[in-house]
Amino acid sequence: MNNLCTEIGYHSLFKHGEQLCGDNVEVVEQGENSFVMVLADGLGSGVKANILATLTSKIISTMMAANMSIEDCVSTIASTLPVCEVRKVAYSTFTIIRVVDNEEAEIIQYDNPFVIFMRDGKSVDYPRTAVEIGGKTIYKSKISLQENDIFLAMSDGAIYAGVGKYMNFGWQRENIVDFMEALYHQSYTAKALTTLLLDECDRLYGGEPGDDTTVGAIKIRKREPVNMLFGPPQNPEDVNKMMALFFSKEGKHIVSGGTTSTLASQYLGKPMTSVLEYIDPEIPPIGKIEGVDLVTEGVITVSKVLTYAKSYLTNNEYYGHWSVKNDGASQIARMLFEQSTDINFYVGRAMNPAHQNPDLPISFNIKMNIVDELQKCLKQMGKKIKVSYF
Amino acid sequence: MKVYVCVGSSCHLKGSYDIINLMKENIAKNGLEDTVELSGAFCLGKCTEGVSIKVEDEVICGVSKENFNEIFDKYILKK
Repeated sequence: MNNLCTEIGYHSLFKHGEQLCGDNVEVVEQGENSFVMVLADGLGSGVKANILATLTSKIISTMMAANMSIEDCVSTIASTLPVCEVRKVAYSTFTIIRVVDNEEAEIIQYDNPFVIFMRDGKSVDYPRTAVEIGGKTIYKSKISLQENDIFLAMSDGAIYAGVGKYMNFGWQRENIVDFMEALYHQSYTAKALTTLLLDECDRLYGGEPGDDTTVGAIKIRKREPVNMLFGPPQNPEDVNKMMALFFSKEGKHIVSGGTTSTLASQYLGKPMTSVLEYIDPEIPPIGKIEGVDLVTEGVITVSKVLTYAKSYLTNNEYYGHWSVKNDGASQIARMLFEQSTDINFYVGRAMNPAHQNPDLPISFNIKMNIVDELQKCLKQMGKKIKVSYF
Repeated sequence: MKVYVCVGSSCHLKGSYDIINLMKENIAKNGLEDTVELSGAFCLGKCTEGVSIKVEDEVICGVSKENFNEIFDKYILKK
């Protein structure tokens, strides 16, 4: 076990006019620190391709996660996939990236564009061994991992982007490498890398992709724990216990809630100052306590964070707001979505009688729901979450 | 003189933002920038009666846009 962890992001552009995507990505975890990502591109487009890609990626990821050999996976697929009436073949290309204990990556590739491997922002060539399995040539590689290593898997829609529109032959893998190297920044998450590359493909396609285009990014990064305290404990006698556990944790500390931050300030013996500036009239101002990385108001701020989290997982429409603004909710969003890898929530279940007013959108139930939903969103972002209730 | 405006959840919803702006305006209008130090406070513990403000050690609740002038007069100008 090392101090690294793996971040995964993937997304697809659908072929213009199609309602289903003929590419599919599956991720299966193998215990805490290992997983398999499979990106499959089914022959053709639409429903047929979608079925082929889904079957291929599901079968391979499940079998690989159960430690079965690639030979077994390929022969299973060959005998399972429905044969296309028109083309008389059952066919789906695939890329498999398996990360073991955050120490080693195994890459298995069949007919998709070769995975781009970047170390410290530069694309690096890696050895590939060709193996014949059932008449298919499959390339295998193994790479020992370091912090900031990036793997980009893609379907061929990515390299065809621009064909006949802005470029005669589309942009090639080398062009994608140049593009990614030019915009590389260490702070970009796997999700951000995926979005940046797909946006460029979409632009080259003139907004009407000629093929399903999928990018799956994997980034190896250092673990960054963030701890968040939200609400005072149900039993006032537990304040010291809750604070002691919270502040003894490694990593950044966020305290959310008026009463909660007052308690934290008493526990630390440091005065709290509140910043008066309303950056965003909807979000109460932040405060400051020495020894705490961020102090915010509670339920209004955190429900805004939840709104940002939900959009981050879909169309990411608020990114332009929270990625740059300095109000409490935007700051929390950046710390949780972008910087952290492991998040520990310390949730207090005290009920503020003043909040149990039907006119106020901040009752106890609403607060607990926000915590639940936020956790779910963060899990979907690939964060490791622990929640302790007090 | 220290003046705090509560920006906790309840008071925020009841209009802390407007009260802070009114405070700033009125402090400037009366030339009190050097004598009044305005800052925010997280929860003064009177959530049901917001917006709460604190002038020195005295907490004043139920401040609104409507009664603001009266309160400003009574607690800040007269002192």
